[in-house]
Amino acid sequence: MQIKITIDGKEIITDSNKSILEIASENGINIPNMCYDPLVEAYGGCGLCTVEAEGFPKLLRACATKPSEGMVIHTDSDRVKQSRKVALELLLTDHTGDCKAPCTKACPAGTDCQGYVGLIANGEFEEAVKLIREKVPFPSSIGRVCPHPCEKACRRQYVDSAVSIAFLKSFAADKFLGDTSLLPQKEENSGKSVAVIGGGPAGLTAAYFLALKGHNVTVFEQMPKMGGMLRYGIPEYRLPKATLDKEIEFIKSAGITFKNNINIGKDISFDSIKNDYDAVVVAAGAWKSSKMRVPGEDLDGVFGGIDFLREVSLGGKPAIGKNVAVCGGGNTAMDACRTAVRLGAENVYVIYRRTKDEMPADPQEILESEEEGVIYKYLANPIEFTESNGHVSGVVLQKMKLGDPDESGRRRPEPIEGETERISLDSVIMAIGQAPNLSGFEALEQTRKGTVAASESNFSTSVDGVFAIGDVSNKGADIAIAAIGEAEKAAKVIDAYLHGIKTEYRKPFLVERDDSEIDYSGFAKAERAVMPQISPEVRKNSFVEVNKGFSDEQAINEAKRCLECGCHDYYECKLVKYADENDVSYKRLCGEKHSRNTEDRSELISRNADKCVLCGLCVRICDKVIGKSAVGLVDRGFGTSVIPEFGKKLAETDCTFCGMCVDKCPTGALREKSGAEKALVVKENSKITVCELCEKRCPIDVRFIGDTITRIKPYGKDTVLCKKGKFDLLSDKTLLQK
Amino acid sequence: MMKVAVGEGSCGIAAGALKAYDVLEQKLNSENELTVTGCIGMCYLEPIVDVYNGNELHRFVRVTPEIAEKIADAVNSSDFSNSAEYEISDDDKSFLSSQTRIALRHCGVINPEKIEDYTEDGGYEAIKKCVTQMTPEEVIEEIKISGLAGRGGAGFPTWFKWNAAKNSEGNEKYLICNADEGDPGAFMDRAVIESDPHTLIEGMLIGAYAIGAKQAIVYVRAEYPLAVKRLKKAIKQAREHGFVGENIFGTDFSCDFKIKAGAGAFVCGEETALIESLEGSRGMPRLKPPFPAQSGFLHKPSNINNVETFANVAWIIQNGGEKFAEMGTETSKGTKVFALTGKINKGGLVEIPMGKTLRDVIFGIGGGIRDGKKFKAVQMGGPSGGCIPEDLLDTVIDYKALSATGAIMGSGGMVVMDESTCMVGMAKFFLDFTAKESCGKCTHCRIGTKRMLEILTRITEGEGKEEDIDLLDELCYSIKDGALCGLGQTAPNPVLTTLKYFRDEYTDHIENKHCTAHECAKLRKYKINADACKGCTACARKCPTGAISGAVKSAHKIDRDICIGCGSCLSACRFGAVEVE
Amino acid sequence: MNFYNSKTDSDLTLLEPTLAEYGDESENLITVLQSAQEIYGYLPTDVIIHIHNRMCIPVTKIIGVATFYSQFRLTPIGKYLIMLCKGTACHVNGSDGIYEAISEYLNITDGETTEDGLFTIKCVACLGCCSLSPVMMVNDDTYGTLTPEKAVNILKELAEKEEK
Repeated sequence: MQIKITIDGKEIITDSNKSILEIASENGINIPNMCYDPLVEAYGGCGLCTVEAEGFPKLLRACATKPSEGMVIHTDSDRVKQSRKVALELLLTDHTGDCKAPCTKACPAGTDCQGYVGLIANGEFEEAVKLIREKVPFPSSIGRVCPHPCEKACRRQYVDSAVSIAFLKSFAADKFLGDTSLLPQKEENSGKSVAVIGGGPAGLTAAYFLALKGHNVTVFEQMPKMGGMLRYGIPEYRLPKATLDKEIEFIKSAGITFKNNINIGKDISFDSIKNDYDAVVVAAGAWKSSKMRVPGEDLDGVFGGIDFLREVSLGGKPAIGKNVAVCGGGNTAMDACRTAVRLGAENVYVIYRRTKDEMPADPQEILESEEEGVIYKYLANPIEFTESNGHVSGVVLQKMKLGDPDESGRRRPEPIEGETERISLDSVIMAIGQAPNLSGFEALEQTRKGTVAASESNFSTSVDGVFAIGDVSNKGADIAIAAIGEAEKAAKVIDAYLHGIKTEYRKPFLVERDDSEIDYSGFAKAERAVMPQISPEVRKNSFVEVNKGFSDEQAINEAKRCLECGCHDYYECKLVKYADENDVSYKRLCGEKHSRNTEDRSELISRNADKCVLCGLCVRICDKVIGKSAVGLVDRGFGTSVIPEFGKKLAETDCTFCGMCVDKCPTGALREKSGAEKALVVKENSKITVCELCEKRCPIDVRFIGDTITRIKPYGKDTVLCKKGKFDLLSDKTLLQK
Repeated sequence: MMKVAVGEGSCGIAAGALKAYDVLEQKLNSENELTVTGCIGMCYLEPIVDVYNGNELHRFVRVTPEIAEKIADAVNSSDFSNSAEYEISDDDKSFLSSQTRIALRHCGVINPEKIEDYTEDGGYEAIKKCVTQMTPEEVIEEIKISGLAGRGGAGFPTWFKWNAAKNSEGNEKYLICNADEGDPGAFMDRAVIESDPHTLIEGMLIGAYAIGAKQAIVYVRAEYPLAVKRLKKAIKQAREHGFVGENIFGTDFSCDFKIKAGAGAFVCGEETALIESLEGSRGMPRLKPPFPAQSGFLHKPSNINNVETFANVAWIIQNGGEKFAEMGTETSKGTKVFALTGKINKGGLVEIPMGKTLRDVIFGIGGGIRDGKKFKAVQMGGPSGGCIPEDLLDTVIDYKALSATGAIMGSGGMVVMDESTCMVGMAKFFLDFTAKESCGKCTHCRIGTKRMLEILTRITEGEGKEEDIDLLDELCYSIKDGALCGLGQTAPNPVLTTLKYFRDEYTDHIENKHCTAHECAKLRKYKINADACKGCTACARKCPTGAISGAVKSAHKIDRDICIGCGSCLSACRFGAVEVE
Repeated sequence: MNFYNSKTDSDLTLLEPTLAEYGDESENLITVLQSAQEIYGYLPTDVIIHIHNRMCIPVTKIIGVATFYSQFRLTPIGKYLIMLCKGTACHVNGSDGIYEAISEYLNITDGETTEDGLFTIKCVACLGCCSLSPVMMVNDDTYGTLTPEKAVNILKELAEKEEK
C-alpha cells in the first residue's frame, strides 16, 4: 500500500511495508544503526536508530517500525539525539581499542604513520608518499629533521625499540623527489587569491593545500630563497639544500607564485597585501634569537643561534675561533655546536643547566655531536661573559644541582653556592630560544609573548580574513611539523572561509588505550634498523649529509616491525563514525570494562571481543543466512559476549570462513586476514567485479592499494560470499589485471 | 468427626506445617479427617491449622509440633477449652474479614490436590456455561463488561487482547499463562497455583475458548516446585474429568494443557521474551510489532495473561461482568491481590477492591509497622515500580493514581519499609537486580543499568560525586527512552521515585557521607559508649584493623581514622556498648 | 564464566527417557536441560554434546541457553545447594547480613563451592516466601526468619551430620 509520510520535513510517498529505516535510507536520510542488516530480521539491540514520531509518546526503533499514513517522523530531534548520544556513550564505556595508532596521534600534523609504514612494509612506496603528502608536503625534508614525536609514542619501544618512522618517511619520499607526476588532482580555479607571508614550512604547507583547492596563492618571503627555517636554520649536513630545493619545486608545481626578498613593512605594507588578496596567511616564523640577560651578552663574538646558522647557510663563515661555547639544550644548540665543529672549532662546549636526561634535544643528535667531539657542560649556567678588548674571552659558569620538579615535571636546577668554573672562549652561540619579529605586522593583535594572537581552532587573527600559523603565532617557536600541522588545518578553514563558510578545526573523536594496558609479551624481538652514517672523523670536517639512507630491504624490514596499534577497521567502523558525528563525551559514564583479551591474529578471521558492541549480526548471519553456528551469545546482561562453541578456535567449529560476519561487523571486533603481506589500515581503492570461481558469479568489491589487493568484500546488500570469493580469490594474481 | 486442615503452601511448609501435619497424623483419632489446604494468606501466622467442627471453625496459628499435639487432644476430646489460647485472635481475624476475595476465593479453603473440593464449590461450571451457552464473542463481551485488566502489571484490558488474538488469522493459536512471577517480593501467583490450581485451569480454558486456542501453556517459575507439582496433578485430574482434552462437555471445544518451567530469568515476564523461552531459546525480547496476538509462540497468534488475571475469569463468567465492575474505581475494576511484606506487622496476601487506599492496606489490614517503628515508604511494582512516601499513603489503589506517583500497580508486590531502610540502598538493590536480569540485547539496558548501579554503589559507599544525581537523572531518561523492552524501560523507576521523594538522602550520602538509615555499611560510624563498656576487650580482639584500644576493664575507644566500619565490634559486644552514630 | 568442563564419562543412558519424550522438538531444549541437570547435578560437556547430537541443536545455542538462565550450571555444585533469597522483602529484612555470615562461615562467595564439595552458595532473586524473610533454601528445605547466627547454625548442623 502506498502511503504518505514526512521524515525530517521531507514528504515521502512510500510502500507501507518498509521500515522507517529503509524508507529514510532510500530518500537520502541516514539514520544511524549498528545492528541492522537487510539480510536478517530487525533486531533492535543497538538502540541507535530510534526516531520520534509526532503523536507517539515513545521513541520508535526505525529498523522495526513500519510507518502509518500521515506519520510525521523526526530523526534528529533533541530527544532522539540525546538517546542516540547516550547509547553511543554507553557502548564506548565498554569498548577497548585504539582507533588510531599512538604514533599518528602524537604527530602534530596527524601524519598517518601506521598507514605509510604499512605501505612501505608492502613495498608500496609511491602510495606511502602520497599518503604522507596528504598532511606533509615535504616528506623528504621532514623525515630528516623532525624530532619525531611519533617515535616517542611508538609502542614498539615496549618490545625492543621504536620503529624508525621518520627515516622511513624520507626513505620513501627520496624515491620520488621532485616527481611532480605525484601531484594530486587540483580543484577547479576558485577565482580567489591568498597571500602567504613567509615561505617556511608553515607558509609553504598552507600555500600547497590552498593551491590544490584551486585558489591563487602568492608566497612573500624576506629571504632570497624559500624554505624558511628548513633552509636557514637546519644545517646542510642534516638536510641538503638540493633535497629541500626539489621538495619546494614540487610544492611550487601546485601553481604557486613565489616572491622573494620582500620584507613586509619595508618593501610592501601589510595593508596593501591585505587589500589585494581575499585572504592573508601570516606565517612569518620566529627569527630573533632570545637573550639570556647575562652580563657580557652583547660583546663581540657572542652570536645568536639562529643568526649564526643563517649566516652559515648563506655561505658565510662567522669568525668563531677555536674555542666555542653553545648555550642551550635544544635542537638549535645541536645544530649550532655541530656546525661550529665543521667550521673548524677545536673545543666546542655545550652548556646546559640540567642534565642529559632533561635535555630537550634529540638523543641521537646528542650522541652524534659527542662522536664529533662536542664537550658537554651539564648542570652549568653562565653568569657572566668575560671580556678582553671588547671581545668575549670566556664564561663564568655557576654549578647547578637538581631540586624539586617544577610545573613542567622536570627537576628545577638550583645553584650550588660558591661553586663556579671559568672557561676561556673565542666565541659564544646563544641557542636558548627565538621569537618573532613583528615589525610590519602592527595591525594584528599580539599575545603577551610578543607573537601574533590567533584562534587555536580557526587560526583567525584580530583582522578579518587574516590568519596566523606557525612560529609567529600564539605560543611561538615550535618544531617544524607543528607548524605544518597548523598550516594543513588552517588551509581547510581558509578554504571554507573563501567559500563564505565559517568553520573551525575540531579534533576527531578517537577511542584510545593506555600503553600500559597492553600485553607486549607475544611479540618477537627485532631490533631497530641502524641508519648508515658517514664516520665521525670524516663528517666533522664536512657539511655532507651524515645519514646515508636505508636500503629498500632495510626499510621494508624496519616497516614490518610496526605493531599495527591502530584499529584495522578505522575507516569502516560505524561506532567511531557516529561517535564523531554525535559529539560524544563518554568519560563521565565510565565504569567496569571488559578485558577479555581474546584477540587471535592467527586465523583467517580474527576476533577481538573487547571491541564487540553485541549487535549480534555475526551470530544472526551465521545462523540465519549461512545456516551454521560457529559463534553464539553466552551469558546475559553486561556479561553477554559472543564466542565460538565452548570457546574454541573458529577452525574447530563448523565455521566455513565465508567471512560474512566480518563484512557485517560494524566495528573492528571481527577482522579478515589481509591480502597484504603486512596488514594495512588505509583508505583503499575499490573495484567492483564478479567472482568467477563458480557459476554463481557473485558480485565482489575488490579493495586494493597500489599493486596490493587488501581484501574482497561482497558487493550489494544481498550478496553472500563464500570462502572462495572472500579468501581464496585473494591469491589469484590475475584479479589485479582485471 | 471433625475435619482438620493444615495449610501447606510454601510458606506454611517453610514455617513448619509438615511437622504439625505429622503430629496430627499420629495423634488424631481415625474418625477425624485430616486434610491439607493451600495458603490462606496469613503468612505471618503460619503454620495454620483449621479445625471444622460442623459449622464451627477453630483456626490455630503458629502451630508448633507441641501445639499440634494439643490440637489433636482437643479434636479427639471435642474439648477446645484448653487450646483456646492457640487460636487466632480477634484482631488477626480482621486481616481476613476486611478483604474481598475473588481471585483468592478458594485459597486456604479447599484442598488443592482434590478436584472434588473445587467442583463441589461450583468449579468448572463457568467453562461449562461458556462452551454450552455462550459464543466466544459473548465471553469476550462479558470480560469487557467486567473491566478486567491485566494483573501482571501493565493493566492492559484483557478483553482487548483476547479479541485481538481471536481476530488474528490462523487455526493454530496459543493461550499462554505467565506464571513466571519474577518480581522479588511478590508471591500472589505462587499462592494461587499452590492453593487453587483449578481456578487457573478453568480461567485459561475460558480464555482458550474465547480466542480459539486448542493449546494452553503455563509458563511457571522453576523456583516454584510445589506449584508445578500441584498444577501437574490438577491438570491430570481435570483431564480425567474431561475438563481438559478433546470435546470438552461434549462440545467441539478441545483444549490441552502443557506446563513449561522457566529457568530463572526475570526478563521472561516480558511477553516476547517469554515466547522466546517457550521456544527453547535465550529469553531475549523481540521487537514489537508484531505483537504476540499476531505472531507469538511458534509465530502463531498467541495470548498471554498472568495467573491472577485468569483467576478472576471463572468468577466473572459465573457472577457476571457487571458484578465485578461494581467494585473498584472509574478506571480500575474489581479486586487486586497484594503480597504485603517487609517491615509490616501482618504480612501476607491481601485481596481488596480497587479504590481502597494504601493506608487501608498497610495500616488497616497490615496492622502498621513492626516493632513500633516509623513508616518510611512502600515499594510497589518491584524493579519496574517505585517507592511511595508517607504523604502519599492516601493514594487510592487504581492503575492511574498509582502511576501518577511514579510507582506502578505492578503485579502486586507491596514491600513496606521503615526508617531503617536506606532509600539510596533500595534504589541500588533494584538496579542490582535489573542489571543482573538484563538480557543483554539492547545497549541502554545492558550497559546503562550497569552504569547506574555503579553510580548508586559509589554513592552508598561514600564515593558519590556532586554531579552524580544529574548523571543518574540523565541516564534514567535515556534508558526509559532507548531500552528495547519493558524491563529496561522501567528499570529507572526505582531511582526516579527515590530521587523524587527522597532526594535529601542522596545529597546526604554525597555531601555529608552520611546514611540516615545507618544501612550503608561503609558510611557507618561506630563509637563505644564508655558507660556501657565493661572493658572485656572482645571488640578489640575482633577488630580487623586494630582500630580499638583500651585497657582491660576500662572503657575502650575506636580510632575513626583506622576504623573501616565493618561492624565486627558491634556483633562482638555483649553489653550493647558499641553504637552506630 | 567458565562454561567449559571437560567431562567425558557421564552416563548418557540416564537421559534417554527425557530425550525420548522431549527430544524431537527443539522448543523443548530448556525442559531437556532441566532434566539433565536434575540427573547430573549440572550440565557436563559430554551431555551437552549428546543433546546437540540428539536434538540437532547447535552447541552454541545450547551454551547460549544454558548461560542465559540462572538455573543452569556448567560446573558441579556441592552436596548442599544453599539458595539465599535476595528478594525485596528479604533485602529489607537483612539478607545482606545473612549472606555475609554464611559467606564468611563457609569461606566462599556467591556461586562458589566449598573445597570439601559440601556447600554451594547461590543468591537467587525471590523464593516467594516473603513473609518469612529473610529466607534461604538448602536443597529442598526452606528456612525462614533467619538471623546470621541461625543461618550459620543450620549449616553447622548439616556439616556435623556429614562428619558422622
